[in-house]
Amino acid sequence: MRALRALAVAAVLSLLGLLVWDLAHQSGPGVATKVDQGKAVPAPILELPRLNGEGRLSLASLRGKVVVVNFWQSTCYPCKLEARDVAAASRDWASKGVVFLGVDAQDLKSAGRAYLEHYNVTYPNVRDAIGKTWTAWGVSGVPETFFIDKRGRVVPPHITGQASREKIDEGIRRALRS
Amino acid sequence: MKALAIAVSALALAPAAYACTPRASQASLETKLVCIQCHTTLDESSSPFANELKAEVARRIAKCQTEKQILDAMVAEFGPTVLSTPQTHGFDLLAWVLPIGGILLGAAALAFGARYWSRKQQSDSAPPNPIAALAPEDERRVDDALARYE
Repeated sequence: MRALRALAVAAVLSLLGLLVWDLAHQSGPGVATKVDQGKAVPAPILELPRLNGEGRLSLASLRGKVVVVNFWQSTCYPCKLEARDVAAASRDWASKGVVFLGVDAQDLKSAGRAYLEHYNVTYPNVRDAIGKTWTAWGVSGVPETFFIDKRGRVVPPHITGQASREKIDEGIRRALRS
Repeated sequence: MKALAIAVSALALAPAAYACTPRASQASLETKLVCIQCHTTLDESSSPFANELKAEVARRIAKCQTEKQILDAMVAEFGPTVLSTPQTHGFDLLAWVLPIGGILLGAAALAFGARYWSRKQQSDSAPPNPIAALAPEDERRVDDALARYE
């Protein structure tokens, strides 16, 4: 009977341990909420396989540059509406050292690549097959666009929904000033 | 003119459509794959992403791929979370083993407990001090006393 009691206690303690571990590893509301409150927060880790190229790309490797991170999906209609504007902005700002990074989330590889070709997107894109980066970034839907300053901080504004050219330009200017 | 165009298109597509006998069922695969955006099986979802996956499955069936080949391709794209049931190897095997182990452990605990409780009950219902047999000397004295009484 003592063995049975010990087993039951061990099982309860294991479950409690799991609960504590889960609570300790929750990433909170994500950076989007903080940025929307006007705060500048360190960019979450973003390291994923490239969609249009070989190997992996890490956001950390772009430190020292202003980076525009755009989350999208090939099946998302507002993403299609903004795609040409984002691609044009990436070309116009390239000479000023601004880098664009697309994150294709929860999408078929072939569909994502066809999308890039169709909208003439030439800036680097990575693929987040199951959307594992969404929680840390606080992405609630696509498209969403974030601006990262040269110090690696996500700074306001944070664009939810279709990003117009004006909004993108304004976000880049603010990131360059911060 | 339009009819001619349709006829030409049909002729062009026909060889691809009948290139082989399908080796997998669209309906079956739609129950085995999950829309990772909506967390339901494909057959229960009509989201744009689910429809894209269904179209991909259809394209692969048309290419004569087997069910296993199609499932493997989907796992290669999205990982095992795209499957509606866990795999039977690797870490996913735990999902199958743990419930069975839990049931067996529970059954063993119940059997052990039932045995313990029934034994305890038996010992509780037994008389606390059973009457011991009389010693021969005492028995003789009792007989004498009874004889006197009579």
